[in-house]
Amino acid sequence: MNEALITLDNLSIGYNSRPVLSGISLSIARDSFTAILGANGSGKSTLLKTLLGLLSPVAGRIETATPSGAPLVFGYVPQATQFDPIYLLTGFEVALMGTYGRVGAGRFVPPVERSFTRECLGAAGAEELAQKRFAELSGGQRQRVLIARALATRPDVLVLDEPTAGVDTTTTHAVMEFISKTRKERKITVLLVTHDIEVVRSHARQVLWLHQGKWLYGTADELLGAERMADILEMVIS
Amino acid sequence: MEALGQILSLDFLLRNSVYTSILVGFACPLVGVLLVMRRLVFMGVALPQISSTGVAVALSLPLWLGFDLTDHGSQSAHMLAFVGSTMFSITAILVLAFLERRGRGHPEGRLGTAYVVAAALSILLLSKNPYGEAGWLDMLKGEIVTISNFDLLLTAGTLALVLAVLGVFHKEFLLVSFDRDMAITLRKNVVFWDVLLYLLIGLTVSMAVLSVGPLIAFGFLLIPALTAHLFARNMRQFTMLASLNGGVAALLGFWIAYQYDLPVGPTDVVLLGGIYTTGWAAARLPAALSWGSRNAL
Repeated sequence: MNEALITLDNLSIGYNSRPVLSGISLSIARDSFTAILGANGSGKSTLLKTLLGLLSPVAGRIETATPSGAPLVFGYVPQATQFDPIYLLTGFEVALMGTYGRVGAGRFVPPVERSFTRECLGAAGAEELAQKRFAELSGGQRQRVLIARALATRPDVLVLDEPTAGVDTTTTHAVMEFISKTRKERKITVLLVTHDIEVVRSHARQVLWLHQGKWLYGTADELLGAERMADILEMVIS
Repeated sequence: MEALGQILSLDFLLRNSVYTSILVGFACPLVGVLLVMRRLVFMGVALPQISSTGVAVALSLPLWLGFDLTDHGSQSAHMLAFVGSTMFSITAILVLAFLERRGRGHPEGRLGTAYVVAAALSILLLSKNPYGEAGWLDMLKGEIVTISNFDLLLTAGTLALVLAVLGVFHKEFLLVSFDRDMAITLRKNVVFWDVLLYLLIGLTVSMAVLSVGPLIAFGFLLIPALTAHLFARNMRQFTMLASLNGGVAALLGFWIAYQYDLPVGPTDVVLLGGIYTTGWAAARLPAALSWGSRNAL
């Protein structure tokens, strides 16, 4: 097991000081692939937003440790449906936003960052989408552009919020294969929120399972065996 | 064409009005593009009206305090109106944006109420103000007639400042508007960029209201941006088409108004409306024709 990159210490998450989930204590290892699983309203997105700094913890702490001591860089891949189609942005312009964290306010994006963005689009299989309007792309195509944008941040952690929601089976397979390959090649830690147990079984090493205010953390093999799953669901129901 | 030649000549009596009208025509749509993208169209309606209430309050203040504004010349009155207009529009946009971000209540209801109360208050205040009779009521109706060199310079300076800041920080404003969550994960200070953007919008609105009145300010803020969105393929085309549409319409509007002795402001807005309607029909024409030919087969 690699050293801990993110440590949650007795963390409570929620909105307006009202906790949805409490007492979460666990460590996420460097280069790991962790799936956050749970039904609607179980707190998956709330946990993700808290980790990303979009929400403040209700209680407890989140500790991060990078080798250089620099703040952790998150490559965030939100749900592709959340973007307003009124913005007339091309795939390249959306992906280029990933570099903005390294470019000072009021400065032009330098050519080296532009060419790195093209590389990321190529790596995500979205090269041909660069000049197309983002709002007119299919769900799977948008997802690829957003993954390229996340890669363009040069992330320590790739955070994906239901990247295969509303995407067909073939594209789901392609997107998940790409994410797994990228994790191995670039030594990136992956946090994936999903409903899809099959995707978790095929790709994730660790699973954080949230349900009705409770949480379980373990390896995919431990938590996703048929008998163990039945036990968990029965325990939760009872 | 003779009238156009007269309007563009350097010794034309109302040349400052022409220049101001064109400046507002080119500049306001650039701010309007941001209002349209952030789905703040109703804000674009309410803000100019609130800004004009600021003008009315500022001009009523000396009267309430017992000063005679006519002793201090038109520049003092204009500066006072500028301060009142700017303070009201910036305060209003910050408060309304804060309430909208909290996501509670009914934003349309708030904006509608703000608009109608501000409009009524402006009329009430100016009806009791002797300066209202001396031209301010005309300004609020959109009669761009008497613009001094000082007014023109103030308008040009303010709009140049706004456009320079918008241009320099274009990528920050775009990121914060398009994907706020991404901006936070990249450690951008989203509150700072939001407040700066609102300050620029407030400043532009107050300057436009002071120069050409709330009706035209609203027209130039939103209609060119909405028209440009029908045809633009990318953000650069969107902003350039919007600005060009506003600037050309301002010049044409002034020409038509001068030729047929019409008030300039309402002429500009009707012209912008006509361009938008024609553009909307033209943008949908190919789809309508192909639907018609499919059904004919």
